[in-house]
Amino acid sequence: MSAILDIKNLTVTLQQSPGVVPVLENLSFSVKAGKTIALVGESGCGKSMTALAIMGLLPDGFQIAGGSIALEGQDVAKLPGDALRQLRGNRMSMIFQEPMTALNPVYTVGDQISEALRLHQGLSRQTARERAIAMLRAVQIPAPERRIDAYPHQLSGGMRQRVMIAMALACRPRLLIADEPTTALDVTVQAQIFDLLREMQQDIGTAIVLITHDLSAVADITDEVAVLYAGRCIEQGPTATILNQPQHPYTRGLIASVPHLRLGLAAAQPSEALEEIPGMVPGLGKRGPLCGFAPRCRYSAGPCLEAPPPTTGTGSHQVACWHPQGEAA
Amino acid sequence: MNTAPPVPPALTPANETVAIVRISPLRETFRLFVQNPTGMIGACLFGMILLLTLFGPTLYEIDPFDIAGAPFTSPDAEYWFGTDYLGRDILAGILVGGRATLTVGAVAAIITLAIGIAMGSLSGFFGGMLDTTLMKITEFFQVLPTLLFAMVLVTLFGASLQTITLAIGVVSWTGVARLTRAEFLRIRELDYVKAATAAGAGSSYTILRVILPNALPPIIVAAAFAIGISILFEGGMSFLGLGDPNVMSWGMMIGQNRNYALDAWWVVVMPGAAIFLAVLSISLIGDGINDALNPRLRKR
Repeated sequence: MSAILDIKNLTVTLQQSPGVVPVLENLSFSVKAGKTIALVGESGCGKSMTALAIMGLLPDGFQIAGGSIALEGQDVAKLPGDALRQLRGNRMSMIFQEPMTALNPVYTVGDQISEALRLHQGLSRQTARERAIAMLRAVQIPAPERRIDAYPHQLSGGMRQRVMIAMALACRPRLLIADEPTTALDVTVQAQIFDLLREMQQDIGTAIVLITHDLSAVADITDEVAVLYAGRCIEQGPTATILNQPQHPYTRGLIASVPHLRLGLAAAQPSEALEEIPGMVPGLGKRGPLCGFAPRCRYSAGPCLEAPPPTTGTGSHQVACWHPQGEAA
Repeated sequence: MNTAPPVPPALTPANETVAIVRISPLRETFRLFVQNPTGMIGACLFGMILLLTLFGPTLYEIDPFDIAGAPFTSPDAEYWFGTDYLGRDILAGILVGGRATLTVGAVAAIITLAIGIAMGSLSGFFGGMLDTTLMKITEFFQVLPTLLFAMVLVTLFGASLQTITLAIGVVSWTGVARLTRAEFLRIRELDYVKAATAAGAGSSYTILRVILPNALPPIIVAAAFAIGISILFEGGMSFLGLGDPNVMSWGMMIGQNRNYALDAWWVVVMPGAAIFLAVLSISLIGDGINDALNPRLRKR
């Protein structure tokens, strides 16, 4: 099966007064139909920028300086605005972080779902409405025939995120980008939303790019993980490998910073201090060619401060580090 | 069979009674407006004025240009509002003149809104050079004294009702443009606009269907006040003698009779009161809409 999304050496830069600052550097990954890749990393690592670059929605001043973004073989990075607009919401769509604000308050949810169908697929008002009801049913909203006439303010956060998913998937896109789709929701609803995404994915065969810092979600529903740090992909591979045998010190740090629930006898013991990664992500324009993580890394020594880290790895598991922590640790 | 215990309602969450009433934001605003005494007083007053100007002239069949009696007849049983310096019936003048005054007010307000919304939305949505250019044009119109500018236009193109209406519209759109631009700048950054773009909406769709409906509340309020201001404008121009001499209007009645105001108060007070009540009623409606749109006053 060929890849739905194939990103090769994507570089995004920001035009600033002192010059051009790289935001994403040489990012490469691909997703096949029905598969999910997670982009993880701290805030400011370039996860959302990657999503916006794919959608062709980079803010003013940002531009794709190199590389290609192939959606089913078509390089969307080079498409003119009009052609790109045809793709958005149709062959690729996006779910936003904040379900409370990502729905237009003056239209009913039914209108908003139907609108994409009418715009992209030329359906009549009546057919679009029926499809919208079917979509609401598919995202497990009770009484969809009546909810379709509800305005966003009449729905709860979880409901609204379901509506967002229904909107994003109404045209059966080949690619879905979910930018932290559950951050604003409470934990039980998060699990429901992830279940729903997985079900819808099996149904439609959509490839999903999931942007998240929720590592439990990563373990749950993704097939591959790409760890971003300061605009570069520092480790990439199958989810199980990354989570069980992380090699990059940063990935190890991320995983170690997740609190674990201990049950039974272990719960009685005093809890250990949660590990942390000291320091901050270097700001834009303060990133040299060397490993961006070196200043925060406990293993940094010798070559880390002299040359960019080589990308090494076996098979699909790639890591960019001078001191991969593999089996030794 | 009939002994089967009824299923407790708590166990059937799927069949929960969801009463989704289509409460559109517009209808909700209307409901709040109707409950608001200020707005309703204004609406009733304006409704009465509208009815009088619409049907008054048919019921009170006196030509406002005809000499109906002796000049300066004070208000009495025959001439309810008295007669002016030529002996014309002032009540007839007010009933007929209201048509011109209100029409000029409404049409000028529509022109104001059309120019203002177009300039403001383009400027706020696209930003950059277009924004700078359009805002410079707006500033150019803003620094000109509006009444003087309107008078220049009317003097240049002749004092007909059309040119007066157009002149008022052309000089008073700047406020609406700035208001619309500010709303567009605010709403443009909201998530649902980004979501619409991500769903494939183009510029014109985003402007007209996504942002504008959300920017409307303050614009509707501004529209109500624009009508009131346009009526005052028309009155002011007619008072200065720049009205259409062939069409009776409230402003013209005041203008033509202004020299006799001290001897016969009714010649200016009656049409003046008409203007006052019309503008007041529209302002009250504007306040009412403003309150109805105020989210803090919504009980939810």
